[in-house]
Amino acid sequence: MATEPKPNKVKTDLLRVEGVTKIFDGVIKAVDDVSLTVAQGEIFALLGGSGCGKSTLLRLLAGFEVPTKGRIFLAGQDITDLPPYQRPINMMFQSYALFPHLTVWQNIAFGLQRDHMPKAQIAERVESMLKLIQLTSFAQRKPHQLSGGQQQRVALARSLAKQPKLLLLDEPLGALDKKLREKTQVELVGIIEEVGVTCVLVTHDQEEAMTMASTIAVMHEGTILQTGTPDEVYERPNSRQVAEFIGDVNIFEGQIETYAADHVRIRSEVCVHYLMHGISGHVGLSVVVAVRPEKIVLSKKRPAGEVNWCVGEVVALVYFGDHTIYHIQLANAQVIKAQQMNRTTDLAEAITSGDRVYASWSGLALVVLVQ
Amino acid sequence: MSKIFARTWLIMVYLFLYFPIVTLVIYSFNDSPLVSIWSQASLRWYRALANDRDLIASVVLSFKIALMVGLLSVLFGTLTAFVLSKYKRFYGRTFFFSMATAPLVMPDVIVGLSLLLMLVSLQHWLGFPERGLLTILLGHALLGTAYAAVVVSSRLKEMDVRLDEAAMDLGCKPRQVFRLITFPLIMPSLISAFLLTFTLSFDDVVLASFLSGPGYSTLPMVIFSRARLGLNPSINAVAAVTIAVVSVAVIVSSIYHVRTQRKRDHEIAMRYSDGSQ
Repeated sequence: MATEPKPNKVKTDLLRVEGVTKIFDGVIKAVDDVSLTVAQGEIFALLGGSGCGKSTLLRLLAGFEVPTKGRIFLAGQDITDLPPYQRPINMMFQSYALFPHLTVWQNIAFGLQRDHMPKAQIAERVESMLKLIQLTSFAQRKPHQLSGGQQQRVALARSLAKQPKLLLLDEPLGALDKKLREKTQVELVGIIEEVGVTCVLVTHDQEEAMTMASTIAVMHEGTILQTGTPDEVYERPNSRQVAEFIGDVNIFEGQIETYAADHVRIRSEVCVHYLMHGISGHVGLSVVVAVRPEKIVLSKKRPAGEVNWCVGEVVALVYFGDHTIYHIQLANAQVIKAQQMNRTTDLAEAITSGDRVYASWSGLALVVLVQ
Repeated sequence: MSKIFARTWLIMVYLFLYFPIVTLVIYSFNDSPLVSIWSQASLRWYRALANDRDLIASVVLSFKIALMVGLLSVLFGTLTAFVLSKYKRFYGRTFFFSMATAPLVMPDVIVGLSLLLMLVSLQHWLGFPERGLLTILLGHALLGTAYAAVVVSSRLKEMDVRLDEAAMDLGCKPRQVFRLITFPLIMPSLISAFLLTFTLSFDDVVLASFLSGPGYSTLPMVIFSRARLGLNPSINAVAAVTIAVVSVAVIVSSIYHVRTQRKRDHEIAMRYSDGSQ
């Protein structure tokens, strides 16, 4: 619905969640004092493991649950107490929840008929939706006559038909097999962008969140740990939990040894980390240093300098074709992972199990986190 | 060897089940007034049946009661099933659940007797209700509600709760959700609950004997009482007619079932032959 005036470059907030808490049965805190804002036109992902409260938060937005505390605003209007059928929000369910006794056409028209839209207008809207999802010739089929990917598109069309201000996606690709996922993901984002609807999606799959969303909120035990763009969350995690949840990470525990405005030295059991930018802290503070496996370079030769490398023995390697992940045991028995692109076909030069290797990384590839 | 044994066994079981029924049908065409001696084929007892006012009245009564029992049971059974499957927590749920299904396991004689005692004292104190159609109806509906509740709730439990949520999400008020989504989806179970309770009522002799009053004899009661006075071949004719009606109903419904199943299989096969995702 192009009723919203185009904002002059400044993104306006569409959804505002203020201090929302949901307690089940008086004891179980599913969502704990969550506040967030979603800008107009954004794809916002709630990412977290099972039981982190992301689905409950989505159900609160849809109106299937009422928050114990806090308010929810949509386009400035307080919708906290509105029932689901009065909210300009539609949801695509994980299991699709297509009505089995209705045809594809009737499924898509269902929401429009509830609004008492004139028949001709409904037909027009349904036709355009069918065109959008490229299932025009399937209009008279029943859901059980469609493949999983087709059902998913019908579910999307049904939730978009009413032109909601906000679209909710619950594990949108969760029910598809791996091959179909990539293709569907691209299609899905394409359709969402074409329609230009603001979108909140829930997923446990970090890849799905990274590739689809413009903003990711990492949730854990009912709270949001970090909100940011995919690369911010990946490269600059604000806590050990976030670093460990998103992607693989090697963690070194240590203390700050020297502390300056432009560099920091951190001593850990097996090596010295030299950070080429300042952080907030003080000498002696216990911190953890996080290094992603793909930022580590392996070599059989000793690197120059005394910092940002360690030595160990390859105890296992996992071959992926294009890259290999090496498990390296260090002197203190800690095992780190290093990911190397397989740049050469020369097998003789390759590092193999049992080799003694030097693992090094750049002073810019580190993230220091407070314990 | 074991194959021959298995086949013989199967044939014997079928004979045991269906031989008496076949005999009964054959003997309904027997001209002799003695049930067990064959004289010659005739439609004599079918003619007698057509003129048997008592028997016809009992068929009409049984049919009326069964029809109403079916409707009442489906109505109350569906309400019960809804409460049991949608409201997971309320005070006394377990008690309600066991009470709702208790008539399934309670012997009919006990149910009939206790209902009779209740009705007698009610009539004594209030002068109401007179025993007859209404009281039989109440007794059967009591039993039928329990059966219908079980049939409908098993279907309701299978139904995805997300469908209700999806409907609400798309703008349905709760009452519309029932009318547009739940009702069409549980329709098959409502039909089977109706057929089940209809048969249950049509077939019952125990409860009806306790609860009926003078002038209200259902078909099974009439057959039963006549059988005690010595079988009359017209009963064979009644039985043969009943069997014919039931067989036609079963055949029609299974043909319908096979047809829809085939259509569905065909449609599912079609979706793979499209080759599009």
